[in-house]
Amino acid sequence: MSIIKDLLKEIVPKDIVIFGQENTRVFECDGLSAYKKKPLVVVLPENIEQIKQVLKICNLHNIPVITRGAGTGLSGGATPIEQSLVLGLSKFNKIKSVDVENRLAVVEPGVRNIVISETVKKYGLYYAPDPSSQIACTIGGNVAENSGGIHCLKYGLTIHNVEAIKIITIEGEEITFSRQDYGIGLLALLHGSEGLLGIIIEITVKLKPISQSSKLIMAGFNSVRDCANSVANIIKKGIIPAGLEMMDKFAIEAAENFAKVGYPLEANALLLCELDGDEQSVENEFKKTIEILSIASSIKVADEEKQISKLWKGRKSAFPAVGQISPDYYCMDGTIPRRYLADMLEQISKLSKKYNLAVANVFHAGDGNLHPLILYDANIAGELEKTEKFGMDILKLSVKFGGSITGEHGVGIEKLNAMCYQFTDKELDIFHKIKKVFDPKSLLNPGKAVPELHRCAELGAMHVNKGKLPHPEIERF
Amino acid sequence: MNDRITQLQKIVKESNSICINSEFLDYEGIVSYYPEELIITVKAGLIIKDMRKELNKNNQDLMFFVDDENISIGAAYANGGQDLSDSVLGVQIIDGNGNLLNFGGQVIKNVAGYDVSRLLVGSKGKLALITEISFKVLPNFYVEKLVKPLKQKASSKAHKVIEQKLKQVFDPKGIFK
Ligand SMILES: Cc1cc2nc3c(=O)[nH]c(=O)nc-3n(C[C@H](O)[C@H](O)[C@H](O)COP(=O)(O)OP(=O)(O)OC[C@H]3O[C@@H](n4cnc5c(N)ncnc54)[C@H](O)[C@@H]3O)c2cc1C
Repeated sequence: MSIIKDLLKEIVPKDIVIFGQENTRVFECDGLSAYKKKPLVVVLPENIEQIKQVLKICNLHNIPVITRGAGTGLSGGATPIEQSLVLGLSKFNKIKSVDVENRLAVVEPGVRNIVISETVKKYGLYYAPDPSSQIACTIGGNVAENSGGIHCLKYGLTIHNVEAIKIITIEGEEITFSRQDYGIGLLALLHGSEGLLGIIIEITVKLKPISQSSKLIMAGFNSVRDCANSVANIIKKGIIPAGLEMMDKFAIEAAENFAKVGYPLEANALLLCELDGDEQSVENEFKKTIEILSIASSIKVADEEKQISKLWKGRKSAFPAVGQISPDYYCMDGTIPRRYLADMLEQISKLSKKYNLAVANVFHAGDGNLHPLILYDANIAGELEKTEKFGMDILKLSVKFGGSITGEHGVGIEKLNAMCYQFTDKELDIFHKIKKVFDPKSLLNPGKAVPELHRCAELGAMHVNKGKLPHPEIERF
Repeated sequence: MNDRITQLQKIVKESNSICINSEFLDYEGIVSYYPEELIITVKAGLIIKDMRKELNKNNQDLMFFVDDENISIGAAYANGGQDLSDSVLGVQIIDGNGNLLNFGGQVIKNVAGYDVSRLLVGSKGKLALITEISFKVLPNFYVEKLVKPLKQKASSKAHKVIEQKLKQVFDPKGIFK
């Protein structure tokens, strides 16, 4: 392969260039393991110069570049494509500086999310967005996906917590985007761009002071509908919890079995509601919330950091927990307006019967972001296809309820078809043209995130009206 | 489809030069407002003062600093910066070809497609005609003490080049002046 020869000739040290069937195996997929492809070659650069050399060589040979953080993505964003080069940024793992006074930290893209909070804890600060994968996922990946987490209801998504980023374009140019830039929102455009527009090489994150006081209320419910409605009621009352998460019976059992944190196994639905701020406001919010939750069948309150993180641990390990009880699971990521939560759950449960596949529901209820986990066994012929059809039905429903096919996991390769339902051809065409502006030869993660128009045509997908009407006609089945 | 929108599309299709100004302000009003969702969708001509009046009835408010309450929300969006952008959830636009397009939506979290609804904040009417915008709002209690955002930095050459190319994406005939 002439590209490998070129890479080995240009790049010292040689051991950062990895090729051969066996050696590249760990890079063949991300967290969505149903899709796999071996790359031609993997490079794990140690400095910016090496990234630029790699890009130059790829440009010369027209080799697609798949940027990779920790590979925890759930939509195939970091999955290699045919004859591609994987650019792994795991060695860019330094926190370059912390500015305590201005509450900022400059970090390299390969820094793991949790390491930032661990590092600045001694200053009484933390980095707010906390994806459940935070012990593993990188901040570069977080920017590329505009990731969320349990505490995003009150503290925002990645975009709200980033001050500036530096990228390298496919042509090797370094450009910085910051919140203070004059003109259009280029910083926002790069957030959630899934490695298609540029390689993020430095991030200045905003830090927050650790709250004076927090309380976590765990409420068990007999009725799923009551639990879902409590979510809307809490927010209606003018309370913004730091986190507001919901799990159904299946997820409660799986998480408890895995993490042993004391979840109520007799409940049909569980609500975790964290309140934080100064002591006075937490106390006020607490009183109001407890009143709303008086319809719950069980209540437990935690107010020490250790207890609180223990209760969160069950929720944060819900995916691996479900992974332990089922050979495979398929995680959906639709968002809907909160007022339809209970309806949506009913629809999912009907679909679960129709497809004869079990579903565990864990989700960021406060954000209306659902993660139904469809349980299946890839070794049973046809079951993956059935699962994907089921998943697509859920995503179509999300769009019908006026929501989106993805709240935080991104489109990747997984949701290309679903994109055809959410956007019209003209809107998709704008996306393609935006990519061209940054990457004229389409070498950065090509074919991901935005479907080709002919794909939508072949699918026969009619884009669904995005809940433009105040009372969209919701299909009942 | 809304008559005025169809009319605006026609105007854009038939013009070769448009300066988006107060003439377009008659497209105003609230499209939808769900206090329990913390989301409001408005037509771009709506005067901010009127928008806030509606929000305040529900003890809610905008999350960004407003310099002048008497301008339209569309103008604030077109001249806004990152602090306004932070609460934008979705946008409906008419591009330079007269196409009516929707990006983002009426949900808090949405990463489908590039974030065009935040990209166009600060576009000064030069990329597209903004017709409707969805915002996240907050209960008054949580709206932090808002301060005037820092002065913006002048664009670098690289930014100007990108912005120029993006103008061609949205307005290939260059009609928005
Ligand atoms: C158990 C589990 C729980 C999860 N929980 C959450 C959650 O709560 N919230 C949430 O939002 N996500 C969650 N995720 C999804 C995933 O962790 C996030 O999407 C995360 O941001 C991906 O980071 P990563 O470093 O692993 O990126 P990767 O998977 O390596 O890459 C993701 C995408 O970003 C691109 N990319 C990565 N780094 C860069 C860079 N430096 N420059 C340009 N492009 C880049 C890649 O090309 C790819 O398209 C979860 C995943 C798992 C497995």
